[in-house]
Amino acid sequence: MTIIILKNIGRFVFLILFQVLILNNIQFSGYINPYFYIYFILLLPFETPRWLLLLSAFMLGISLDAFTNTFGLNAAACVLVAFVRPFVISAISTGTEFMIGHSPSLKNQGLKWFAYYSIILVGVHHFALFYLEIFRFTEFFQTLLRVLLSSIFTLLIIFIAQYLSYPAEK
Amino acid sequence: MRYLLYFLRKQYIYFLFLALEAISLLLLFNKNDYQNSALTAVSNGFAGSVLNISSNVSDYFSLRRVNQILAEDNASLHSNRSEAFYKADTASFYQHDTLYKLEYRYISAKVINNSTNKRNNFLMLNKGHRQGIENHMGVIIGDRIVGQVVSVSDHFCWVMSLLNKDSRISGKFKKNNQLVNIEWGGGNYQIGEVKEIPKHVVIRKGDTIITSGNSDIFPEGLLIGTIDNFTIAQEENFNYATIRFATDFNSMSFVEVLIDMMRKEKENLKNSFKSNER
Repeated sequence: MTIIILKNIGRFVFLILFQVLILNNIQFSGYINPYFYIYFILLLPFETPRWLLLLSAFMLGISLDAFTNTFGLNAAACVLVAFVRPFVISAISTGTEFMIGHSPSLKNQGLKWFAYYSIILVGVHHFALFYLEIFRFTEFFQTLLRVLLSSIFTLLIIFIAQYLSYPAEK
Repeated sequence: MRYLLYFLRKQYIYFLFLALEAISLLLLFNKNDYQNSALTAVSNGFAGSVLNISSNVSDYFSLRRVNQILAEDNASLHSNRSEAFYKADTASFYQHDTLYKLEYRYISAKVINNSTNKRNNFLMLNKGHRQGIENHMGVIIGDRIVGQVVSVSDHFCWVMSLLNKDSRISGKFKKNNQLVNIEWGGGNYQIGEVKEIPKHVVIRKGDTIITSGNSDIFPEGLLIGTIDNFTIAQEENFNYATIRFATDFNSMSFVEVLIDMMRKEKENLKNSFKSNER
C-alpha cells in the first residue's frame, strides 16, 4: 500500500516537472500543446476513493498552474477529468474484475479498453482546458483544431509511455 | 435535518466536485483579487526557484546568440556616446541642461520562463518588488516591445506578453501617425492583427508600426512590427491587416523593464481630473 502511494507521489512530481520543463517549452506551430501530465490521473489505481481522486486531481492542476500563471485553469480541467473517470470506467468495462492495487494499463485491460479510456479522458481534459483558456466563441473552430491536434499528441505520448513501461512479451 | 445530513453524506462526492470546480473558476476569473494575494507570493517564490534552476541550465545553450545581441547593443550605445560625435563647440556638449529630465529608467532582467505556444502567454522574470518593479510596467527588449508586468512577488514577476488574448497595444503608422490597435489572434507567434485602420489610410506591405505613446505603459516610438498582409474591407468602416512582430518572442534571454519616473505625477494628474469631473 505504502509503495503504491509513494509510486504515485513520485509520478506526480515527475510528470509536473516533465510538463513544465520540457513539454511547455516545445514549439510546434502554436496549435499543438501536449498536456501529458494528466497521465497521473489516468494511472491512479482502480480502487482509489472518489474524494481522493478529486483532491489529488485538484492538487495536480493547481501545481501546474503555479508554473504557468494560470490559476484555476488546469485545476478546473483536472477536477472534471477526475469526476468523470469512474463513470467512464464503469461505462466501458464489461464486468471484468480488476485486481486490487492495479492501475489501468494497456497490458492488463487490453488495447481497445485502454484506447477508449484514454481518448475519452484526454478529450474531456483538453476540451475543457482550451475553451476555458480562450473563453469566447469568436475563435470556436480555431480552438477546436487546437483541442484535436493537442489531444492526438498527448495520446501519442501516453501510448509510448505505456509501451515503454510494459514491453510486449516475446 | 437527519434526512438532509443523510442526503449530504450520500451525495458528498458531487458537492466536493462542485466546490473544487467553484474554487478553480473563482481563481481563474477573479484576476484583480489574486494578483497580490498570498497565493501568488508563495507560488511565485516556489515556481520561480524551480524555473530559475532550469533556466540556469538552458542558458548555456543560447550563449552564442546572447553574446551577439549584447555586442550589437554595445555598438549602438558606443555610437551614441559623446565621443562619437564631432565636436564643433566643446562647451555645448557638457552643459547641464535643465530642459531634459530623466523620464524612464531601465532595469535589466533575465527571462526564466517563457512560452509562445499557448493562447495566453506569460514570461517570468527574475526581478520583483525588491528591485522596484510594480504592476503595469512595460517590458521591452532593445527598442522593441515585449509586454507588461501583471503580477509581482518579492523576487520575481510575471509579464503578460503581446501573445495574450488580453493584450491590446495602442500603435501608429510611422509614416503618418495614424492610430491603430494591435492584438494577437493565436496560432503563429510571429504574426499579429492590426485592427481599426481608418479607410483613408493607404496601407503598404512593410509599413512600420510603432507604439503611439497614448498608453501609460510604453513611451512613443518603440518598434512593434511591419505590415505583413492586408485586406481592404468593402462593407465595414475599417480595414484589417496582419503585422509581423519585430520582437522574436521565442528567443528572449534578457529584457528590460521600463520604470516611469513620472508615473506618480501622471497618475495624480489623472486622479485630480477625475475628481474634478464629479
